[in-house]
Amino acid sequence: MQKDLETKFLSDFEQNQNIAHKICRVYTTNQSAHNDLFQEITIQLWKNYPKFRGDSKFSTWMYRVALNTAISLYRKSTRSIKTQDISDFAYKIKATDYDDTEEIQLKALYKAIHKLNDIDKALIFLYLEDKPYKEISETLGITSVNARVKMNRAKEKLKNILNP
Amino acid sequence: MDVLENYKKAWDNQPEEVSKFSAIEIYKMAQSKSSSIVKWIFIIGILEFIVLNSLYFFIDMEEANKEYEKLGLENFIFYSQLAAYAILFYFLSMFYKNYKRISTIDSTKTLMKKIIKTRKTVRNYVLFNLGYLALVMIVVTIATINTSFDDLNGKQLLLITVSTLIATLLFLGVLWLFYQLIYGILLRKLNRNYKELAKLDVSN
Repeated sequence: MQKDLETKFLSDFEQNQNIAHKICRVYTTNQSAHNDLFQEITIQLWKNYPKFRGDSKFSTWMYRVALNTAISLYRKSTRSIKTQDISDFAYKIKATDYDDTEEIQLKALYKAIHKLNDIDKALIFLYLEDKPYKEISETLGITSVNARVKMNRAKEKLKNILNP
Repeated sequence: MDVLENYKKAWDNQPEEVSKFSAIEIYKMAQSKSSSIVKWIFIIGILEFIVLNSLYFFIDMEEANKEYEKLGLENFIFYSQLAAYAILFYFLSMFYKNYKRISTIDSTKTLMKKIIKTRKTVRNYVLFNLGYLALVMIVVTIATINTSFDDLNGKQLLLITVSTLIATLLFLGVLWLFYQLIYGILLRKLNRNYKELAKLDVSN
């Protein structure tokens, strides 16, 4: 039984791990912190996996656990470097029809997101991932109306950072 | 078009992580120990219960009991300690119950609320202990003054009262600061994030 659960978890998570990587990029600014957070997310996902009933998609469930870990459980390790070390990440857009505008935009976007507070980061991340307001409000535990209000403010903040 | 839409396109086209983890690496990570805030709150909380209660081992109880008997306080000490232990077990069970209730599958706000509640249980226990300590110190001082009332003049009486008061306050103050420091560092981020979500309900 345990073995089956493990196998299923590993295949579910391996396929969806990019979600966790994106969250790590949003909440950390260097590779060692990225890996630290990724590990904590993995631990939390596995710990709660027996409670995952499959009435929602694994990825939907994963957004919640991973964001919760990033916002509430993760402690920045003292080892991690303070300076923004964005070059550590590979932001390279796929090599075919190579155009570096998007790569530059993506870098600027991450840099701007890093200046937001933890809650605004979550809102912007869920917006970029095309999540509906219902899901956003349920994930954060606020009403739909409040989610909209908060989202508009977060977007304004982000725009001001991107185009001062 | 909204300026963010351009950036969103770049976001949608961002490549998958290059250094993806294999199933074996994920398996190893899933088995490793969590170092989350909740874990630290649990460990520090348990340590606080242990430290506060092991203080008694450093006091020579026989000697202390003789002193209490001299002051006629043996009943007060006995019953208050009995009550203190009952209260300790109440707090311990509450602490454990709250800790167990913390779940990452709750919404962000509920999760933060539960973490803060777990910590508050320990804070209340520490407050209770500080209060108990202050009470014992005050009772002992009063009893001391009462038993040797005839040998003391007004000046000495005032001196004893004031110095006990200052010593008690200083001691409690230092403990309180130390405590704030531990949890302040641990929970600054969490409290800030919680307020960020909670203030919305008030303003709307």
